[in-house]
Amino acid sequence: MVQSLIFALKQKMATDPIDFPDLPAGSRGLPRLTQQLCQGLACGDCQAACPTSAIQLDESDGRCGVSIDLGKCIGCGACIAVCPSGTIESNPSTKTATLTREALVIRQGESPSDSRQVVGGSLARSIDIREISTGCNATDQEVAAITNPVFDCSRFGIHFVASPRFADALVVTGPVGRAMQDPLIRTYKSMPEPRIVIAAGTCAISGGLHAGGYAEANGVLPHVPVNVFVPGCPPHPWSILHGILLAMGSTRAHP
Amino acid sequence: MIGVEVSVVSLDEWVPTISARIRRKGWRYGHLTCRRDEEGKRRLEILLLNLTTSTSEVISAAIPSGQADIPSITPTVPAAHWAERAVGDLWGIRADGHPAFSSVILNEAWPTDVIPFHRAADGIPAIRNTHLLSAHGSGIHEIPVGPVHAGIIEPGHFRFTCIGEVILNLEIRHGFQHRGIENRLATTPWRLGRFLAESASSDETVANGLAHAVALERLSETRVPDRANSIRTISLEIERIANHIGDLGGLSADVGFAIGAATFARLRGVALGLGQTLAGSRFQRGLICPGGLAWDIEDTRLTDLGRSLAELTHRIHEACELFFTNPGINERYQGIGILPLASVEELGIVGPSARCAGSHYDARRHFDHALYPGFVTNIQPQTTGDCYARAIIRRDEIMDSLDILSEVLKNVPKTSVLAEMPDDLAPNGIGIGIVESWRGELIHWITTGPTGTISRYVIRDPSFQNWIGISLAGRNNLIADFPLINKSFSLSYAGSDL
Repeated sequence: MVQSLIFALKQKMATDPIDFPDLPAGSRGLPRLTQQLCQGLACGDCQAACPTSAIQLDESDGRCGVSIDLGKCIGCGACIAVCPSGTIESNPSTKTATLTREALVIRQGESPSDSRQVVGGSLARSIDIREISTGCNATDQEVAAITNPVFDCSRFGIHFVASPRFADALVVTGPVGRAMQDPLIRTYKSMPEPRIVIAAGTCAISGGLHAGGYAEANGVLPHVPVNVFVPGCPPHPWSILHGILLAMGSTRAHP
Repeated sequence: MIGVEVSVVSLDEWVPTISARIRRKGWRYGHLTCRRDEEGKRRLEILLLNLTTSTSEVISAAIPSGQADIPSITPTVPAAHWAERAVGDLWGIRADGHPAFSSVILNEAWPTDVIPFHRAADGIPAIRNTHLLSAHGSGIHEIPVGPVHAGIIEPGHFRFTCIGEVILNLEIRHGFQHRGIENRLATTPWRLGRFLAESASSDETVANGLAHAVALERLSETRVPDRANSIRTISLEIERIANHIGDLGGLSADVGFAIGAATFARLRGVALGLGQTLAGSRFQRGLICPGGLAWDIEDTRLTDLGRSLAELTHRIHEACELFFTNPGINERYQGIGILPLASVEELGIVGPSARCAGSHYDARRHFDHALYPGFVTNIQPQTTGDCYARAIIRRDEIMDSLDILSEVLKNVPKTSVLAEMPDDLAPNGIGIGIVESWRGELIHWITTGPTGTISRYVIRDPSFQNWIGISLAGRNNLIADFPLINKSFSLSYAGSDL
């Protein structure tokens, strides 16, 4: 007991001193588009390299027209590595969550759509969350990580609860294969209204690598409505916190 | 190099052949599965591993069309019992004589007419059985848990049959995360398959990526450059350290030892940070690719790694001292959840869950992956097989991996990191990748067709082999100790469900 106390007192503060720090230098974040024009369809290297068909190319209105659906992107960096014109680069930001599915599709020359709309209202200071895991456990681990002393979600009023009956919000990870569809719907229905659903990770948003198979693992949207989308495979714990703070309508989530 | 010898037998010779061959000195069970050959015929196949020569053997028997049952090997090779049940789910084939034949991957949520690998020409499939063993009598009650748990963990269903507070039997019902990964890997061009292979179970990202790469490298007879092998070793050991630290944190949290939970959680973050320094991602996704590494690591990153390592080593020693000298920890974990060596050997339990009970088996000593088996590890097994031994073995493996890291970092060769791989793999070949992941022996088993494309992709996660260990270790323990027992094994649900 005494030994533990002495040990605890000797520890320096673990918590990140600033909110939403950028990813460390040299990290691979989600892709973003620069102002560098590209060959578009004439090149097509990025589209061919993408393992989840997240990249679309079209040249309709005079622009080179590359668009990336971050809701399908697994952040593998293959497109960045092959792009000859420097059009695609890694985005170091951890503020990546959005309030609509459409806002995850990024196009060159367009600024990301504004997401100041408030979801939570009365939840701005405190939110109780139930987590449902349906995937490969990467995003689960990053959700669990926000409770550790480094991210320390409880200082934002974020708590995880054991039952959906106590929950304001549901964080769903994984692509929701056939056997988790019914448990997801039943958990959602067990929650008191208003029910907020946060789809965390690319699998939860679109099925990611698993979409379109016999397991019907196509994400959360076919089963329950989603309020917040957190892309990434897995998303960084700060990105998951961003998604939850957006759901709370917290001012800390905004630029 | 792993050479694979194939023996074709008839279904009548199946049981006697395997029974005789697995008893040879130095051999152990690897995995059992079914595949479809180029004529569309189903073949039942078992993989046997020779630890002395680092070779393996596949015994293959054709299943006549129209037939939906096979003789069960489980009574002679109990380690195959989950694998036969999985064949039942995915192929609609019943193992005759199996002592507890019921579903293990496709649970009752799946319509019975969904049998992923079954074709109409195979005839009428066996009916899926989702029965759970139960007991009746005075004082006996059942406790259902899951698939949605109270904590932030993966989904699975546990059905406890208890007498009062004591667990009489535990039935494990999995399959909630079944995503059809094996099928997808056999239909995706191999150059795009590595991300999917990594996501079989993402806390074993590096191990899965490595086993995937090793299996494909066997099939194309590619020699991986030395620098890539060194960095693969570093990557694999960082993953082991991070996850073992995470488990010690989990073991602290489950008995309310808050300072231990917070400290280990923080240190796990530091270990994941090493992965981030090395590969640009906390889970080191995408670094390993068939032929070597997807990109080179600058020497400055390796220097940074070495510097962070010294600091981390010191802090882990401190935290472990705190954990293992705590009387509460000692009292709660000693003597519960015992899995004896006899069960470990009979059921083919692998990894730390086996080494805590006296088994010496570590795939790093026998099979070619990264710098192994040329590189020595010095882990001495524990003998008690209880939860405490599983904690001790984790600590010892962390220390051993830290030593390996500093040893490898001293001399990372300056070669290229990627060998060119041909587009077509060897036709009608078998590629086996065996890696000691932090959970134990992980097998990726790839079979190619006549044109050199993948015709069957099989993953055997260590968890698939070890879940039965939790079931047995839980018996006659208090229900309140089950979370501790479960955490001490720390198995993957996703890797088992695929």
